[in-house]
Amino acid sequence: MRARTFGQSRGLVFVFSLFGGLLLVFILLPLFQMYARQTPAALIRIAAVKDVRSAIWLSLEAAGLTALIAGMLGVPLAYLLAHTSFAAKGLIEAVVDLPLTIPHTVVGIALLFVFGRTGIIGAPVNALTGFQFWGTLGGIVIAMLFVSVPYTVNAARVGFEAVDVRFEKVARTLGAGPWTVFLKVTLPLASRSIVTGLMLTYARSISEFGAVIVLSYYPMTAPVKIYDLFLQFGLGDSSAMAVLFLTVALALFILLRYLAYGGMVSRGPRQ
Amino acid sequence: MRLGAFALKDVSFTLDQGQVFVILGPSGAGKSVLLETIAGFYWPDNGRIRIAGADATRSAPEARRIGFMFQDYALFPHLTVAENIDFGLTIRRRGSREGGHPEMEDLLGRLGLRKLMERKPATLSGGEKQRVALARALVTEPRLFLFDEPLSALDAHTRGALCEELKAVLGASGIAAIYVTHNQTEALILADRMAVLRDGELLQTGTTSEVFNSPRDEWVAGFVGVENVIEGRVLSIHEGIADIELPAGRKLEAVDNGAAPSSRVLACIRPEDVALERMPPAESSVRNHFPGTILSAEALGPVLRIRLDCGFPLLAYVTRRSYLDLGLTPGTQVVASVKATAIHLIPRP
Repeated sequence: MRARTFGQSRGLVFVFSLFGGLLLVFILLPLFQMYARQTPAALIRIAAVKDVRSAIWLSLEAAGLTALIAGMLGVPLAYLLAHTSFAAKGLIEAVVDLPLTIPHTVVGIALLFVFGRTGIIGAPVNALTGFQFWGTLGGIVIAMLFVSVPYTVNAARVGFEAVDVRFEKVARTLGAGPWTVFLKVTLPLASRSIVTGLMLTYARSISEFGAVIVLSYYPMTAPVKIYDLFLQFGLGDSSAMAVLFLTVALALFILLRYLAYGGMVSRGPRQ
Repeated sequence: MRLGAFALKDVSFTLDQGQVFVILGPSGAGKSVLLETIAGFYWPDNGRIRIAGADATRSAPEARRIGFMFQDYALFPHLTVAENIDFGLTIRRRGSREGGHPEMEDLLGRLGLRKLMERKPATLSGGEKQRVALARALVTEPRLFLFDEPLSALDAHTRGALCEELKAVLGASGIAAIYVTHNQTEALILADRMAVLRDGELLQTGTTSEVFNSPRDEWVAGFVGVENVIEGRVLSIHEGIADIELPAGRKLEAVDNGAAPSSRVLACIRPEDVALERMPPAESSVRNHFPGTILSAEALGPVLRIRLDCGFPLLAYVTRRSYLDLGLTPGTQVVASVKATAIHLIPRP
């Protein structure tokens, strides 16, 4: 059947493949070139620099904290959005999506009004405890969280919506209260979607630059350090660190995917 | 109570310990809503739900000690059969099955579940799923069992077997049950008492015999399979027999059940109660004989559904053997006989 349809539209498939191919080349060529131009010597040299390594580690660590907080705050919200219906729900869902539409440096500026030196939370917290959100890991996490939390909320919401309400009802008749139902039935059944959301949040956090740099230029995350190297020393050093960082990030994602989905595959069929 | 555009109105019935109460109704009648209200997922605007003497109207579902069976059984897909069955027990911290429930082990054995314990629900057959769902609910010792059309999605053969099995398990457990369905056969097999639900209203309550043989109105009659509903007018009543005038000048005698003379009535006759003869019998206790012609004969499994024209349309069910013996092919002239006691009169509004 498929061969026949394609046979009849060979011209269309050819032209579309041409355009599609162009796009794929556009994506792959820069990456390929960047990798191809590195020398092992350059990579080893850059990896030896302490600042480079600590920047990469800071990125991974901050993104991890971000994912954690996104999960704690975003999953409950997603549950409410999936389970209740009220007039303002559309508005709230739009608000959740807002961070996706705001330019990143604008995000940073806006966050300063709350968490910065004169911010309505930043100032009193600094006065009371000496802790500051600007120029710290805290600020980095705040910036990452703002731009990446929509992914967790939306993925979790879809996951919760996909859980047949009958499972929850049956669990109630078996004696489980609402909290037990959530922990033992709803959450496990939505876990795959939630994990996907958290991983997207992690990925988005790692790559964030504009918001982070406004709120916390120092300590430098990997994207910031790469930019710094580029400004100071040009393409050579910065591209070496870029390749290093990209490789570490990709390896990490493959590992996370395996841990998340590999485990799930063995635990049972998805619904 | 209201649920969107749907409203449950005026539904009242009582149920005794160990009884199975079947609610029969078409799709959209409100059967699921009613059941879920009893289970506690919706709260009625007015009225009371009393379980074992205690008012449960405003208590949470998990406090009502009710077992619930959905159409697709809703077995937790992420848990094994054993974990599914244990679910209610671990919630109530009554320990695991092994803990000290000899009757439960017995039940599991009788239901043939022991070899399924480590399986996942997705790998089970329909019958196995039903047994697991039953065990899962029974293990929590509910005071009431609610069934929401558990057999509707199955083929006729499986449905029959599982229906009998359900009846046996319910009988053995002695737990009161409310069973909701649109299938008359399930009602006939399972019900101690039953009711007919339509558009959120209970139209008739009683034993299966009462509802199926003496439907309260035309709609109920049609729904429970009383397929002959003939308009007529009461001519006279004496000796407990009502003489009814039918279309085309025919007359019918039915046992009087309080119809007023000259009133309009509907004469309800189940097709199973219509007997066919090639010749009118010389002497018979049967009061009604209608000569007529066979219009069509349709096979319905082991019986045939014969459509007749006796001056008014009439349906009869005959066995295949009778069909062949008597040669009841379309066009044949026959006499349809109906006992006066088999005719149920409904006053026409």
